[in-house]
Amino acid sequence: MREMIVSELSQAMHEMARGFAHYVPRLIVMLILAFVGWAIAYVVKVILRSILQFIKFDKLSENAGASQLLNKAALPTATEMVSRFVFWVTWLGFILLGVSVLGILGLQEQIASFFLFLPRLFVAMFILFFGLLAASFFSRAALLAAVNANVPSPRVLSLAIRSIIIVFVLSIVFEELGLAEQTMLVAFGIAFGALMLGLAIAFGIGGRDLAQRFLEEKFVRNKKEENEDELSPL
Amino acid sequence: MEAMSYTPSGAELKLEDETFLSDDFLRQLINVGEVDILIGLPTHNNAKTIGSVVTTIRSGILRGFPRERAVIINADGGSRDGTPDLVTGVSIDDARPAANLYALRTLHSISTKYDGSAGSGAALRTILAAAELLRAKACLVMSPEAAHLQPDWISNLVHPIYRDGFDLVAPTYRRHKFDGLLTTNLLYPMLRALYGVRIREAYMPEFGFSGRLGSQFLGQNGWHDGNGQAGVELRMTLAAITGGYRICQSFLGEKEHVERRGSDLIPALRQTVGVLFSALETDFLVWSKVAGSKPVPTTGSEQELQLDPIRVNRKRLREMFSTGVSELQSVFQSILSPSTLTELQRIARLGEEEFHYSAELWVRTVYEFAASYQKSVISRDHIIQALAPLFRGRVFTFLVENRNASAIEVENNVEGLCLEFERLKPYLLQMWKSRE
Amino acid sequence: MPLNTDVLWYKDAIIYQVHVRTFHDSNGDGIGDFPGLEQRLDYLQELGVNAIWLMPFFPSPLRDDGYDIADYHTVNPSYGTLEDFRKLLDSAHERGIRVIIEMVLNHTSDQHPWFQEARSSHDNPRRDWYVWSDTDTRYKGTRIIFVDTEKSNWAWDPVSKSFYWHRFFSHQPDLNWDNPAVGDQMWNVMKFWLDMGVDAFRLDAVPYLVEREGTNCENLPETHNIIKDLRRKLDEQFSGRMLLAEANQWPADLRPYFGDGDEFHMAFHFPLMPRMFMGLKLEDRKPITEILQQTPEIPASCQWSLFLRNHDELTLEMVTDMERDYMYDMYATSKSMRLNLGIRRRLAPLLNNDRRRIELMNGMLMSLPGTPIIYYGDEIGMGDNILLGDRNGVRTPMQWNGGWNAGFSKAEPQRLYAPLIQDPVYGYPAVNVAAQKESEHSLLHWMQRIIAVRRSNGVFGRGSIEFLYPANHRILAYLRRLGKETVLVVNNLSGAAQAVELDLKRYKGNILIEMFGNNIFPRVGDLPYLLTLGPYQFYWFRLRRV
Repeated sequence: MREMIVSELSQAMHEMARGFAHYVPRLIVMLILAFVGWAIAYVVKVILRSILQFIKFDKLSENAGASQLLNKAALPTATEMVSRFVFWVTWLGFILLGVSVLGILGLQEQIASFFLFLPRLFVAMFILFFGLLAASFFSRAALLAAVNANVPSPRVLSLAIRSIIIVFVLSIVFEELGLAEQTMLVAFGIAFGALMLGLAIAFGIGGRDLAQRFLEEKFVRNKKEENEDELSPL
Repeated sequence: MEAMSYTPSGAELKLEDETFLSDDFLRQLINVGEVDILIGLPTHNNAKTIGSVVTTIRSGILRGFPRERAVIINADGGSRDGTPDLVTGVSIDDARPAANLYALRTLHSISTKYDGSAGSGAALRTILAAAELLRAKACLVMSPEAAHLQPDWISNLVHPIYRDGFDLVAPTYRRHKFDGLLTTNLLYPMLRALYGVRIREAYMPEFGFSGRLGSQFLGQNGWHDGNGQAGVELRMTLAAITGGYRICQSFLGEKEHVERRGSDLIPALRQTVGVLFSALETDFLVWSKVAGSKPVPTTGSEQELQLDPIRVNRKRLREMFSTGVSELQSVFQSILSPSTLTELQRIARLGEEEFHYSAELWVRTVYEFAASYQKSVISRDHIIQALAPLFRGRVFTFLVENRNASAIEVENNVEGLCLEFERLKPYLLQMWKSRE
Repeated sequence: MPLNTDVLWYKDAIIYQVHVRTFHDSNGDGIGDFPGLEQRLDYLQELGVNAIWLMPFFPSPLRDDGYDIADYHTVNPSYGTLEDFRKLLDSAHERGIRVIIEMVLNHTSDQHPWFQEARSSHDNPRRDWYVWSDTDTRYKGTRIIFVDTEKSNWAWDPVSKSFYWHRFFSHQPDLNWDNPAVGDQMWNVMKFWLDMGVDAFRLDAVPYLVEREGTNCENLPETHNIIKDLRRKLDEQFSGRMLLAEANQWPADLRPYFGDGDEFHMAFHFPLMPRMFMGLKLEDRKPITEILQQTPEIPASCQWSLFLRNHDELTLEMVTDMERDYMYDMYATSKSMRLNLGIRRRLAPLLNNDRRRIELMNGMLMSLPGTPIIYYGDEIGMGDNILLGDRNGVRTPMQWNGGWNAGFSKAEPQRLYAPLIQDPVYGYPAVNVAAQKESEHSLLHWMQRIIAVRRSNGVFGRGSIEFLYPANHRILAYLRRLGKETVLVVNNLSGAAQAVELDLKRYKGNILIEMFGNNIFPRVGDLPYLLTLGPYQFYWFRLRRV
């Protein structure tokens, strides 16, 4: 009996040791992966940060209005945020790779889907970022044009344009993330937004001067009298 | 996104790389051959005025330079009213002898359609390229709308180059005291304070330049980026200053009132202030070292003012200023310093009687705009547009201050503003450097 | 080579202008003479000229280079005898060279016996052969020609105590052509020389023969009547002889001197010459085409005579003030080069001894419509001496070789009628006939060649002219046409190479044959004919349909 216990124990110990011995290399591999992943992620972060600094990404995000948001939330600069995000995503990727080496059932699938989801996440973020940028730009363009053309309530016009573009952008982002059911809800928004975006672009860049003159002619009262009273600037 | 569209042009463009001159134009240039004087005439549907302008130019050449080889080159933006025919019609040509025209030489007057959209940039580029091919010693660019053009304007602009070896001749005019307010309130004082050169009309409708300045500018200007096209005359002035070329001014005569349109302000700002602001970036090493300013040699009077009363809707100017300050607050927050913005908001609330946009505040405003432009805090074009309402406020004060002023008093006020710009220059430098 | 019998011989002529005094001295007295000139006729024949124009050789006090004649019926003994002249005339004719002599109808020397008689008493029958007046106020509207030396057209005669009329120097009293006796006498003079065999007269100062109050006393109808009368007599008695008018006038004013082919056969085209120089300096054909556009048509039997330089100053009377100032500034930088309204220089120095420009100017001289006149020495590029007074700087001895007195005379150098050109560039050791005969590339050989090419084709002397107006104004291009023959002349007036497109559509299918080398150039097609020309280069092409 005692012998049996000893033998079972030793066998269990043996098996545990064997199992342990079986897992240890994997664990070590995982740890190595995690460590190497950290190193790679760090290098990627440093490189990305200098690239973003070089292309003046902060200025872009400032234009997009993202910097102001970050400021309000007492978060670091946009460059820092993006670099950190990429760092974590990279490292997480490596850790998950390590975990999959452990061969835990069920986890594999989740990890695979995570990697499949990554590119879409990037695209969505990309669209969101530039969408915000565009919204900010076109709304400001409209605001300036309206003010200089003496159109009433320029801020309302500007806000409307901004909102429409953001709605439009968000709908695309959601679709990209695969949250298609949401799309139906904003379908109307998209259609309306597209129209207004077209207008905004037209007024904003296509024919800044023309649009301005158009606005002037449409909205400005006593146009003739006022033109007479303007002075030649040059 | 829009900020990326601005890239300072580093690419040096050489004439031989370019094929923007048409074969037909080249053939005409071969026939013209080497010239001493080239008169460039950018046009676009100017049939109403161009006839008398070219005839006057021709008599200017015949009177002032009968022995020199001269050519009139019309760079046309695709006129549909027969403008080019009117220009080529003044040629002096033995195949079609004209009575009562005593000329030693053949005078070619040729026309070409320049590439691209209508604008002085592409036209000037064509003229410069022609001048380089023809090895012109002195070149003029004349306005196709100069209603008061006199034959002696030609010699007034050519002589300093041809005889005295100047490289750039800027014009001075007799104008109404309230004509050209952007020039008197911003362009002239700021250019003077920053570059130390007192050029009254840096945005020149008519001007002269030497062949070497023309060639140099043709090679250096960024013709292909959008900014290279607007305000190209001002770019040329700046190129002459920074390149150390010899600059002078020459009094011409009365400048016609350009048709007054409120909507012309934004393009005017882009062509002058926009160009000046962007040049500050590339010319930092030049202007940061300049202190004070020096007059440039001038033939004839520096500036003559007409004082006849003029009716202006001042009320509207002030209204647009106040609306601008309140509506554009978010924009101004990223451009102006808090103290300047507060001060602007304070005066925006004042009634018409108390309203006063002081010289100092105006200079601070402009300098802060310049610094923000350099930092591209928002789209550069938006920065320029945002200046318009503030400029209107400043114009209001200028009009009030000089309502009953004599020519000397106006001149003193402008001089005062200039000195303010010069005095506050360290403020701009400080903002500029804070970025570094 | 006997003379040809064509009565229009002067249209095809190449005239060589020479003063017998300047050409060759046969007797060692320092002055050129008829036998000397006769010895040099072979040289002229070789050059290719077929007419010589002798400047005045009559007895004269020589105060106006012989234009102040003291006796019309003999020759100045310094130049030989009348017999020597006859021999020269015959020798020239044997070589196919005609002889043109001077005839001064307007005035005589104040040393002429006629004037001596006229001034001797108010009753002398010759008194009325000259124009006399008690006051110097008549004919007030008349300009003074020699502005540098004369103050008035009237001069005081201390002998007869009255004023006499003179359009030129005061020592040259004008003959009174209102007196029929004068006309008869002058025709007798001309007949004297025509009988001897002289082929043509260059009639000096023709516009001034008659004076009328209230006019400028130039080109009067009475003057034309006199010329018509002389021409009628000439044609009746001496067929095939020629009258050449010296009248420094605008082409339109000159035109009447051709009449309906019943006055002069030929006249100098004075305004063209300064404009050729001007066009060259401006590098612009405009002055040349303009003056030829203003040149009226002349009767078929008449001919212009063209020249680059002559014994006088390069006259700038027939240009505008602006043009004159330009010419002075460009061609007479030193005041001493100017004389009256002109520039007293020879061809080569005027063109800075630039061989290409000398060739181009001669090329135009030979190809523009008219009969070319070559001033002696210009065929070898002789220089001038502006230190000699008046126009004597362009009348120095001909430079035959680098030896004693340039081969002109055996006399002591100080006995020469004028010093030789001695400067390093144009001096006779550098510029002379013998040296140029040795050198194949010499100007002399080139001149022989161009004269030969010109004489090979009648189109130059008799053809019509039509200007092409290529857009390149530095190119002077014209078509000369006679019958089926068409010649295209293209001149580059610029010192830089040029490209030119010529509109030759009418001649589509023709090939061009360059006349100096007889080389074929591409056929004329639909496109403008493209030619490139080197600095101051010119082409003569024959158009041929093959």
